[in-house]
Amino acid sequence: MTALLQLKDLNVTYATGGTDVHAVRGVDLTLDPGGTLGIAGESGSGKSTVAMSVLRLLPRAATVTGEILLDGQDVTAMKWGRLRAVRWAEASIVFQGAMHALNPVRRIGEQIAEPIRLHPSDGRILTEAGVKVRVAELLTQVDLPPSRAGAYPHELSGGQKQRVMIAMALACSPRLIIADEPTTALDVIVQAQVLDLLSRLVAEQEIGLVMISHDLSVLAATCERIAVMYDGEIVEQRPSAELMASPEHEHSRALAAAFPTVGDPVSRFAPATSTPLPPEPTDRAPAGEPLLAAENLRVSFRDRTGKRIHAVAGVDLTVARDEIVALVGQSGSGKTTLARTLLGLQKPDSGVVSYDGKPVPKGGAGLKAYRRRVQLVLQDPTSALNPVHTVYEAVAEGPRIHGLADERAVVTRALEAAELRPAEKFLDRLPHQLSGGQRQRVVIAGALALEPSMLVADEPVASLDASVRGEILALLLRLRRSLGLAALVITHDLGLAWNIADRVAVMYRGELVETGTVEQVLLDPQHEYTKSLLAALPGGTYRDDVKST
Amino acid sequence: MTTAETPRQIAWKRRRDGLAKTWREFAAQKAALVGLILLGATVLVALLMPLISDDSGLNVTKATGAPLSPPNGEFWLGTDNYGRSVLLMTLWGSRVSLLVGFSAALLSVVIGTIIGIAAAHFGGWVSATLLRFTDFFLVLPSLILAIALSAVLPRGVGTIILAIGLTAWPSTARLVRAQTLTIESRPYIERAHALGGGHLHIVGKHVLPGVMPLVLANTTLVVGNAVIADATLSFLGVGDSNSVTWGVILEDALNNGAISRGAWWNVLPPGIAIVLVVLMFTLVGRGLETVFNPRLKK
Repeated sequence: MTALLQLKDLNVTYATGGTDVHAVRGVDLTLDPGGTLGIAGESGSGKSTVAMSVLRLLPRAATVTGEILLDGQDVTAMKWGRLRAVRWAEASIVFQGAMHALNPVRRIGEQIAEPIRLHPSDGRILTEAGVKVRVAELLTQVDLPPSRAGAYPHELSGGQKQRVMIAMALACSPRLIIADEPTTALDVIVQAQVLDLLSRLVAEQEIGLVMISHDLSVLAATCERIAVMYDGEIVEQRPSAELMASPEHEHSRALAAAFPTVGDPVSRFAPATSTPLPPEPTDRAPAGEPLLAAENLRVSFRDRTGKRIHAVAGVDLTVARDEIVALVGQSGSGKTTLARTLLGLQKPDSGVVSYDGKPVPKGGAGLKAYRRRVQLVLQDPTSALNPVHTVYEAVAEGPRIHGLADERAVVTRALEAAELRPAEKFLDRLPHQLSGGQRQRVVIAGALALEPSMLVADEPVASLDASVRGEILALLLRLRRSLGLAALVITHDLGLAWNIADRVAVMYRGELVETGTVEQVLLDPQHEYTKSLLAALPGGTYRDDVKST
Repeated sequence: MTTAETPRQIAWKRRRDGLAKTWREFAAQKAALVGLILLGATVLVALLMPLISDDSGLNVTKATGAPLSPPNGEFWLGTDNYGRSVLLMTLWGSRVSLLVGFSAALLSVVIGTIIGIAAAHFGGWVSATLLRFTDFFLVLPSLILAIALSAVLPRGVGTIILAIGLTAWPSTARLVRAQTLTIESRPYIERAHALGGGHLHIVGKHVLPGVMPLVLANTTLVVGNAVIADATLSFLGVGDSNSVTWGVILEDALNNGAISRGAWWNVLPPGIAIVLVVLMFTLVGRGLETVFNPRLKK
């Protein structure tokens, strides 16, 4: 039996401005018909380059050497016409970020029909009616009502768009589907649905699947085998269960540890980090009086039609000194609005935010003083830093606003506290000269420079690589332990809460449906929504593992 | 002490590097470079006129040539109705025309930038009011408004500058507002808010440096327009008829019958001078815009 896909000594080099970047070095991979293979790795590890090389979709600057055998035929040697026939009819791709891969001005039915029209099966061209029937059939396969064929992409949710992408990939009954981070931008529950759908379709129609992700647990849930890539090379390739149970290569271990299993005592208060955490201070008082408290907070917006949308609908939340609270919920649950309201960036309709027992002033010097105490860390550090300001200017921004004396010492101290050492090395760098993790540290240093008593972090690690993620979480935990810095961490990731938080608040449609200690909420969920969130975790929870073995 | 440079030095070094990069990108555009060199030469000539020649040749009573004599060896571009050298008048005219062009452009860009940033930054009713105000000036025929203004105010160069400056700003305001809106939607503005930064901090530290390059490019384009507007107003007779400007030369040519007598040398030199100066400003402005406006980058 010929393998469906075979890569032999694949090398890809990008020529970028003088220096060649060796993105893929000597990769060998084999996928049998109907098999499933996961490729894991961080951004820049070359995993997407491998995937795109299969259909020769790489940019011109890329030089490919080695063999790419698709059903025994070498893709690199194919003539243009043959390659076009192979694209989509034999192998198709589910692209990353369904938001951008769909044409916003065309109906989705049309877009699904496009490959069907371009690649008539068995040489006969389908009639318009035939195309319609096929589109309806595909929509049914991905669990969308066929009537949605007339919808435009913006009328669909993220999960629905990703289903449309899968329907497009299935359109010409290919033998191989390459899914490039198919669930990265999706919520946990939607992610579980999409993964289920993908595995079911692949199994039913005996399609080979190559799935690319930075999240090992996602790959383990859908693929038989996982290959871990690091710096352009495959460092480990084994059956999924085996790899998850005992990752051998150092980098696989880092990837596995970055997404902890909820309930696993090993990862409780132990985010993946290379420097050891300070021990818990022995005299830590059990949750003292609240530092920041929201009482019956309500925020609503008007949408385009003038309808009121209640983003935050009556929330009571407290964060005490020396405590990390995780605010968990899916996108659109109102958690970011809640955070902005707590910081006084958004006016509430009603309700009170109080700091240290006193209501937060609405404006003027009082609000400015409050903002010195409570600091914000944003999701995407790349856009949270002004691209033309150096690290020094970015960190000094807060101290300048508040007129702190001895700016340089303050900045150096803040950078060191955020573990950018030695601080002098970073002062004159611009944001684009830093890695993602370093940028997030600069944002955190900018907050620390004001010596706040609390951080509000909105998805602080969502846009960071797996290995950096653990380091940033460890930093937050370290700051709490050494400085007693309280934090409200907003996240969609329950593993993060398990890693560092003391308490969890679960937000659903503008309300807090469940609040309690991490152990209470995550191990013994009471509300239906919390239960469904936990059930949707691709890695499952630790207790489930115990039960099943 | 041999430690690292101070942050101030670092910042200046970075600014110098940025400037050098901008210059390289600008100089890569041949047309813009040619425009800049010619413009520099023109400005130099205008500034040095008092050293090269004296302005007695502009005085009607001291005119030496025969009235309306065509170009010859003595008067390269002929003479006007009073026997003055057209070449001398055109060269001297560049002084006032350029002065009016630069000052009026500066005035209009300052007004436009302030209103544009305010309209985008404050939002709410401030923005609504300012936008309606801008729209009002945008739909008003600016030439008629300028004529009305210069008719009401006392005659003089200052009035012309004011009249042009007060009518040319709405397009700048629109441009600056759009750019401010895109900058203000960036998360680093949110971060600055959360750090406790007020309006002054956000506008001064983040917005103004962000819109400045675009404003600079816009200014050079506005200068060209202002030169035309100045010539138009002088030609229509609402300018300062005592000073020699390109518009005044044209007006004289019309009023004194030079045109009807076929004295083309009275009309073409100032006309061509206007076209050339506007063209230079447009070339430089377009060049700057290509460097600074992110939307024009390929």
